[in-house]
Amino acid sequence: MSLLTAKTIQKKFGGVIALNDVSLTVDKGEIVGMIGPNGSGKTTFINNLSGLYAPTKGQFIFNDEDITGLPAHVITGKGISRTFQNLRVFPNITVLENILIGLHCRIDTSLWDVYARFLKTRRVEHQAKKKAMTVLELAELSDSQGILAKNLPYGKQRLLEICRAIVSDPYLLLLDEPCAGMNPVEMDDLADFIKLLQTKGITVFVIEHNMRFIMSVAQRLIVLANGSKFQEGTPTQIQNDKDVQAIYLGDEGDL
Amino acid sequence: MENIGSNSILNSPKYKAVAYGMLFIVCLLLPKIITNMYYLGIINYIILYTILCMGLNLILGYAGLLSFGHAAFYGLGGYTTAILIKRYGFSFLPCPLLSGVVALLFGILLGLPTRKVRGDYFCLLTIAFGEIFRLVAQAWIGFTNGAMGIVGIPIPSILGWSIRTEADFYYLGLILLAFTYITISLLIHSRFGRAFIAIREDELAASVMGINTAIYKIIVFAIGCFYAGLAGSYLAVYQTTVTPSNFRLEESCLMIIMVIVGGMGSLLAPVAGGIVMTLATEYFRSISEYRMLIIGVIMVAVLLYRPQGIFGTSAFKD
Ligand SMILES: Nc1ncnc2c1ncn2[C@@H]1O[C@H](COP(=O)(O)OP(=O)(O)O)[C@@H](O)[C@H]1O
Ligand SMILES: [Mg+2]
Repeated sequence: MSLLTAKTIQKKFGGVIALNDVSLTVDKGEIVGMIGPNGSGKTTFINNLSGLYAPTKGQFIFNDEDITGLPAHVITGKGISRTFQNLRVFPNITVLENILIGLHCRIDTSLWDVYARFLKTRRVEHQAKKKAMTVLELAELSDSQGILAKNLPYGKQRLLEICRAIVSDPYLLLLDEPCAGMNPVEMDDLADFIKLLQTKGITVFVIEHNMRFIMSVAQRLIVLANGSKFQEGTPTQIQNDKDVQAIYLGDEGDL
Repeated sequence: MENIGSNSILNSPKYKAVAYGMLFIVCLLLPKIITNMYYLGIINYIILYTILCMGLNLILGYAGLLSFGHAAFYGLGGYTTAILIKRYGFSFLPCPLLSGVVALLFGILLGLPTRKVRGDYFCLLTIAFGEIFRLVAQAWIGFTNGAMGIVGIPIPSILGWSIRTEADFYYLGLILLAFTYITISLLIHSRFGRAFIAIREDELAASVMGINTAIYKIIVFAIGCFYAGLAGSYLAVYQTTVTPSNFRLEESCLMIIMVIVGGMGSLLAPVAGGIVMTLATEYFRSISEYRMLIIGVIMVAVLLYRPQGIFGTSAFKD
């Protein structure tokens, strides 16, 4: 059963067509990869999906519901979380506080609860911290819980950003070039971590430039070129596809 | 924010309880220790400014919205109490709350544009609002008595306790301050407080965390303004007058400086800012033409030697 269906998504920025008639599906439990040369529209695709932009045309159907053009905070509440290509942790607060903010949409404290039912609020906060700690433990970040996010090493900040996204138990996790700036060891750890998330029931949609990485995690690949879907298949199929190799020649060349 | 999970003895509940207990007793006995009316008066102003700054700190320090209109909300509170008591014969008891609510409602109104305009334009809007408020207070003579202000606000009394002396006003201020501190502390240690911080840190990322940033900016702005209204109510009965010149742009700037000097985004920081800046203003009163200059020098000095502010965490120091 498909968790997400994107139907003929188009996005124009002024005269530039950044996405053109992109249709795809993501099934429950899958790890889907998206590759494509720089500027091919990968980030624009998940920006549209996560509600930062509204597509000019097309529809996103998620869990049998049309979510096209809903605001970002609503879409997060429906169970789609994401990270950013250019790392966006909250720098001046602690690691634990970062994670707790990721839990925002799963805490139902109202202003009335804050002022009038503060014992209930306290209990809810306590549970939230416990939940946040389990995620930090999963990523082996619990020792750093009290450190300001900006003081973490870069690779750990990337991991923190993923933790912040998964703490709300999303159905679908969108990762935009998660291993940019990581060394090979960190990349392998990240690949393992993403597969671990899959076993926890999270469906993952990952954009990545690094071929070795994407080949090791994704079960299915979608290739984007110039804003259109160019090819789709298993990693091996894509790797041996002459046309895909051609569009990558000037760019990566190392498929 | 506090360092959750740190095991230092200072964080142990027992130590905290003892420290709070001692602080409480000292606060209660202070007018017995400091009997000089002049000093007690200064302390009352420190309390007043601390309440103002705690509200502004929510807006500026936690949510990162720069508002030059805080004095106007302070004024709205002051005029609300003055008019309710003088014109409509209200007793003082409901006035602080009503003044706060009036400021809160205007805060919601002025907060609405944050949905549409960027931070720097919002800042200009707050300046405009502050000026409009002062001009209306000056021009609407029938209601506000114009530039003369409302004078002769009678001695307030709460359930038979008539508040006359500096010590009485000290206790009234302390009650309002405790209310302010407790309510802000409850708010900050909830998902609301974290949402405000997230907006300050990175608004786009905050929205992707499921935070309705438009609503939260209005909430934090309006709640911050509530405390300005509360402080205004106190000023009205303490000073027994309110005039438009109490609520000039200069006052807003002073409050911003207090928050920055105290340390933005830390719960107790406004106390430090309030103390330092009130003492400085008082100490240099004889050369009051240079008041803003001296205040500016203090701010630069603090920012040079302690960029995060006196009480601030290291958060803002890169
Ligand atoms: N906000 C924007 N305004 C105008 N053009 C944009 C915007 N965002 C992306 N684009 C354009 O859309 C195209 C796709 O960009 P992007 O999605 O970032 O590519 P990728 O992530 O695949 O490298 C690029 O040509 C880029 O210049
Ligand atoms: Mg990109």
